Amino acid sequence: MNLGQLRKIAAEVVAREDVKYLIGWKQGSYGYRIAPGFVEDAAGAAELIFSPLCTANLATYLTLVEKLPVPRGQEADKRKVALMVKGCDSRAVTQLLVEKGIHRDEVVVIGCPCPGMVDPALLTEKYPETEETVEVKWSGDGFLLNRSGEEIKVPRDELLAEKCRLCRYPNPVISDILLGEAVEPWELAEDNGVAEVEGKDVGGRWDYWEEQFAKCVRCYSCRNVCPLCYCQDCILDRLNPTWVNRAVNFSENTSFHIARAFHLAGRCIGCGECERVCPVNIPLGRLNRKLAREVRDKYGFEPGVDPEAEPFQASFKPDDPGDFIL
Amino acid sequence: MSADYEPNIVAFLCNWCSYAGADLAGTSRVHYPANVQVIRVMCSGRVNPLYVMNALQQGADGVLVSGCHPGDCHYMEGNFRARRRLGMLKSLMEFVGVDPRRFHMSWVSASEGHKWKEVVEKTVEDAREAGPFEGFRRQQIDW
Repeated sequence: MNLGQLRKIAAEVVAREDVKYLIGWKQGSYGYRIAPGFVEDAAGAAELIFSPLCTANLATYLTLVEKLPVPRGQEADKRKVALMVKGCDSRAVTQLLVEKGIHRDEVVVIGCPCPGMVDPALLTEKYPETEETVEVKWSGDGFLLNRSGEEIKVPRDELLAEKCRLCRYPNPVISDILLGEAVEPWELAEDNGVAEVEGKDVGGRWDYWEEQFAKCVRCYSCRNVCPLCYCQDCILDRLNPTWVNRAVNFSENTSFHIARAFHLAGRCIGCGECERVCPVNIPLGRLNRKLAREVRDKYGFEPGVDPEAEPFQASFKPDDPGDFIL
Repeated sequence: MSADYEPNIVAFLCNWCSYAGADLAGTSRVHYPANVQVIRVMCSGRVNPLYVMNALQQGADGVLVSGCHPGDCHYMEGNFRARRRLGMLKSLMEFVGVDPRRFHMSWVSASEGHKWKEVVEKTVEDAREAGPFEGFRRQQIDW
């Protein structure tokens, strides 16, 4: 994608009267860091970038905005928020539209067709982080790292993030403005992570997740970063009734993770943010992908594709599978 | 597991069908295992998956959710919603490694006292085979 074109269009969008600000990616403070940029003028638009490091799903900021009560006699700010999205992020926006978390006329969606993102963990493992800013680009069939003047070409398979290996929607599902040209969807990889857990017997799976969940420190990063976890009154914060105790132990952690995964059943769009932000590397994506596959195979439903769809858990079909019922 | 182990089952029964069915089993003098603790809810669609998790955390070895047959729901569609949600919960619990024998769902109508007996026998038998669910108990602190 041409950065010049991106910045030009971003500047045009923020200059519009009906746009409050634009949320995009900009260069972070050092190394591979990317920061979200809240752009209000042309100078800010000139800092925006789109690179293989832009893994963050910015759709989460749409619902994080605090909606303060409007003083009497004043008008609420009805201007739109412009948002830069990749394929997966656009599905989050669509799912938010389905759930009426946002309204279509509140957002301007700027779609960026995404040829696949770099896995930050894999990247820092192979090429340790530096204090200097490192530029990463797509180049042919791979990634091009520019570390202090030295150019390193890395094959795509070596660094491609897991969520991108399994991505079926690299192009934005909805967009008002599409930047650049649509990319060709690639061949899907096997979901080895889910298959590995499914290959174990019940006791083995319990042992596996016991090991994973016991690590959890309950920082709730996974919830906070998730574009679709936006309840004002989250059951995890509620004290009466206390569905999930705040104590950090295996029992409560398991309960928390089952609740979290369940609340995303039929809603998770697979942006992989929960897994990326997890400080103790719990493979949350496996839980989400397993449920997403169940929903797709058994109920024929895919979240975040059709803005007109009914929410999965708030609807039913008379012929839903009931083979587990005694 | 000791030989005299008796599983605890928590059963969430819908007010209109299954609770009446269990009542019928009682008034008909049908013998069924006494391991079941019944919690009456207004509809099987009211059963939050967190109820199931909390029951297992607080001492249940198995959970049963029972409602009206599809199409017979007092609220027209509550049991359809329950079927979709709890079906997802069951596959999620299986994936996490909770023994699938610990969670059952059934349709028992108000006239099916005998079916209620069969369902309870099956649930208790399964929970007995699965054994006590000690690993998942909520850790209480005694001050």
